[in-house]
Amino acid sequence: MENLEKVIIVRYAEIHLKGKNRGYFERVFTVNLEKALKGLRHELRRTSGRYLVAAFDERDADEICARISRVFGVHSYSVGYRVPNDLEHLFTAAKVICPQDGTFKVDTHRADKKYPLTSPELNAEIGARLLAEYPGLKVDIRSPQSTVCLDIREDGSALVFGSFEEGVGGMPVGTSSKGLLLISGGIDSPVAGYMMAKRGMDVNFLHFHSYPYTNEQAKDKVVELARILSRYTGGEEVSTVKVTHIQEEIHKKCAAELNVTLLRRFMFRIAERVAQMRGAKCLITGESLGQVASQTIEGITSSNAVVTLPVLRPLIGFDKEEIIVRAKKIGTFETSVLPYEDCCTVFLPEFPAIKPKLPYIEEEEKKLDIEALVQEAIGTLERIPLR
Amino acid sequence: MIYLDNAATTRPSDGALARAQHFLTECYYNPSALYGGGAEAGRLLTEARSFLVSRIADPAQFSLVFTSCGTEADNQAIFSAARRGNAVTTQGEHAAVYESFKELKNRGVEPRFAPVRADGSVDADALIEMVDAETSLVSVIHVSNETGAINDIAQIARRVKQKNPRAVFMSDGVQAFGKIDVRLTKEIDLYTVSAHKIGGLKGTGALLRRKSYTAISPYLHGGGQENGLRSGTENVFGIACFYYAAQEKFSSMAEDGVRLAQAKERLWELLDKKIYSRISPQDGSPCILTVSAAGRRGETLQRMLWDMGIAVGTGSACNSKKPHSRVLQACGLDQRMLDGVLRVSFSPSNTAEDAKAAALAMNEAARAFGGN
Repeated sequence: MENLEKVIIVRYAEIHLKGKNRGYFERVFTVNLEKALKGLRHELRRTSGRYLVAAFDERDADEICARISRVFGVHSYSVGYRVPNDLEHLFTAAKVICPQDGTFKVDTHRADKKYPLTSPELNAEIGARLLAEYPGLKVDIRSPQSTVCLDIREDGSALVFGSFEEGVGGMPVGTSSKGLLLISGGIDSPVAGYMMAKRGMDVNFLHFHSYPYTNEQAKDKVVELARILSRYTGGEEVSTVKVTHIQEEIHKKCAAELNVTLLRRFMFRIAERVAQMRGAKCLITGESLGQVASQTIEGITSSNAVVTLPVLRPLIGFDKEEIIVRAKKIGTFETSVLPYEDCCTVFLPEFPAIKPKLPYIEEEEKKLDIEALVQEAIGTLERIPLR
Repeated sequence: MIYLDNAATTRPSDGALARAQHFLTECYYNPSALYGGGAEAGRLLTEARSFLVSRIADPAQFSLVFTSCGTEADNQAIFSAARRGNAVTTQGEHAAVYESFKELKNRGVEPRFAPVRADGSVDADALIEMVDAETSLVSVIHVSNETGAINDIAQIARRVKQKNPRAVFMSDGVQAFGKIDVRLTKEIDLYTVSAHKIGGLKGTGALLRRKSYTAISPYLHGGGQENGLRSGTENVFGIACFYYAAQEKFSSMAEDGVRLAQAKERLWELLDKKIYSRISPQDGSPCILTVSAAGRRGETLQRMLWDMGIAVGTGSACNSKKPHSRVLQACGLDQRMLDGVLRVSFSPSNTAEDAKAAALAMNEAARAFGGN
C-alpha cells in the first residue's frame, strides 16, 4: 500500500520528569535504543514525546519489539502505520489494524489542533467506514475487544495502531552511574543486577570462582546468566577472580564457623578494587535478609566494614518466592537452577556463625596475610567477553 | 595430555580413520543404491558385520544389527525381550540398562535388581534366586564400567536357562568387546557393543542377536535397513571406523591385556595407600582401576589432575543436586569413599610410564587438596 509506512512507536516513561536533565536522559535513551537494535536494519526517529522505529524489514518486526521490550525507559510501544493525515489514508491504515469481527472502538488523539475534524468526529467517521467495510464488527465504547488508535501529528502525518504493549519502565541504563554486581550463578544476584539497571545503573559483572573445587561449567553458567542479563543491562564482559587460595588459607588457619564470613570480607575487598578499576561507584549484591547464615545484619556489618563504597542490596526485603517470580520474568531462572555449585561444599562449615561479632572476626583474620592474598587474587582477574 | 579416561571414550584410531576415509569422501554412496558404488558400500557393511560377529561368536549362530550407540542397542534388546511377567538385572548396570529396566514398570513388566558385591560384580546366587517361571528377560553387564569387575556371563546364563529355559539372556558388553576375551555361548541370546570405546567413533554401536531368537522388534521404521530391524541409512563411515578399529584391537588383544594389567597394577602399587583405597577387584578388566581418596572430592582431584596433564574419570560429582554413583552406592561404599572416587581407565595406547606419571600426580593432587 502506497504511503502506508509500517512503524513501531516507542513511548518513554520517567524521562520527561527530569526537568533540565531531560536532554541528557533522552540522549542516553537514544543510544540505548540504537544499541538494542544493532544488527537489524532500521531507522530511529525522534518526534515529540516518542520515538518511531521505521524502515525495517517486516520480518524483523517481532524481534525489534522483543528487543524494545527489554530497554529500560520504555513505557509502552505499539506496532502501527505512519500515513498522511487525510481521511482516505487514515481509513486504509485502520482497515489493516482492525480485526474483521468482534467489538471495537476508534480512539483519536489530536496533537494538531487545527485538523478540520475534532477527535469525536474522527472517531465517528472512521468507525462508520469500518462498520460498512466489515459487517462482522460491532461498536463497544466501554470495553471493546480491539481499539483502533489514531494519533494526528502536527507535521501532516498520523499514526494508526492497535494495542499498547507495556514496556519495562524504569530509567535509561547509564543515567544512574555505574555499579559492580557480584554475580554468583544462583537465582538472586541476576535479579539484583536487573533491578539496579532498571533504575538506570550501568551494571558490570564480577564473579568469584574456586577452581579446581568448582568446575568450568559453573563459570560458563555465570557467563550465560550475564549474557541474558546484558540484554537489559548492556554489560559487555564478566570479570572473574579466583579465590581458591584464600579459601584454602581460611580453611587451614581460621575458625571453621567463620569460613563464609571471612571469605565474604575478602570478596568485598577484591570487588572494591575491581570496581575502582572499572569506574564503578558502588557494589551490588543479591543478598536478602535472613536467607542464609551470612545474610544476617551481623554478616552484612562484617562485610561492609571492609569497604568504603556503598553496597546496594536491592533484594534485601524480598522473599525467595518473590525473587524467583522476577528471575523467571527476566529469563535467568532456568539457567540459575542448572546444577552447578558456585562454591564447593569442601570449605563449608557444618555450623556457620550466624551472628559473628566484628572483634572476633578481626582477631581471626589476623592469622592471614590479607593484603598479599587480595593482591594474589587480583592477579587472577580475567575478562570474559559476553559476545 | 596423558589420557586415562578410556572407559568414557577413546581417542579415535588414526589408522582406522585413514582407512575409513575412502567411505567418507569417495565411496559416499547409499549402500542401498543399486549401482556399483552402492554395492561397494554395501559390501563394506557385510564385511564389517561378519568380522565383528566372528571375533566373539559363531557367525552361523549370531547376526548383528548396527545401531547409533550402545544405549540404543540396550534399549532395543530390553524392550523387545521383556514383554511379560518380570525381568531381572543387576544393580551394577550402566544407566542404559538400569533406566530401561525402571521404565519396564510403566509397561507392566516387573523389574528386579540383583545386589552387587563390594567390587561391583553381581551376586550371582541372589540373581538366580530372583529368576522364576515368569521371568522373560535377564540382563547382566559383562564388565562393570565403574569398577572393571567381570561377571561370568556364560555361567550365569547357563544357570538362568536351567531354571527357566524360556527366559532371554542378554549382556551389555560395551566395556568388554575388544578389551577382554569374549565368547558368546549357546545360552546367551543378545549382546550389545559400542565403537567409541575401542578407537571407533561416537554414533556407532551394535546389537548381536542369536539368529534363532526372532522376537526382536525395530525401534525405527522406514526403509527396512538392517533386515528391517533398524531403518535409516547406515552410518557407513562410522561402521568402517568401527570395523578397522576392531581389527586393530583384536589383533593384539592378548598382549595388550597382559601389558595393561601390569601397568594398572603398577599404578596401584605407586599410589599412597594412606590416601587411596582400591575398589576394583584383582581379577577385573585390565583396562579399569577404580580407587577412592576418601574424604576428598573426586571431581576436584579430577580437575587438579587435568591441569597437571592427566585426564581420569570420576565416580561421583561435587554437587549436592547430582547424587553419587548409583552403582558404587550399591557396592556399599560410605559417603566419604563415594566422594573421593577416581576411575583410571586404559587403552592399548597407554604405557607403563603413563601409569607411573598418573600415580605420582594422583598422590600429589590428593596431598594438595584443601591446601593441606
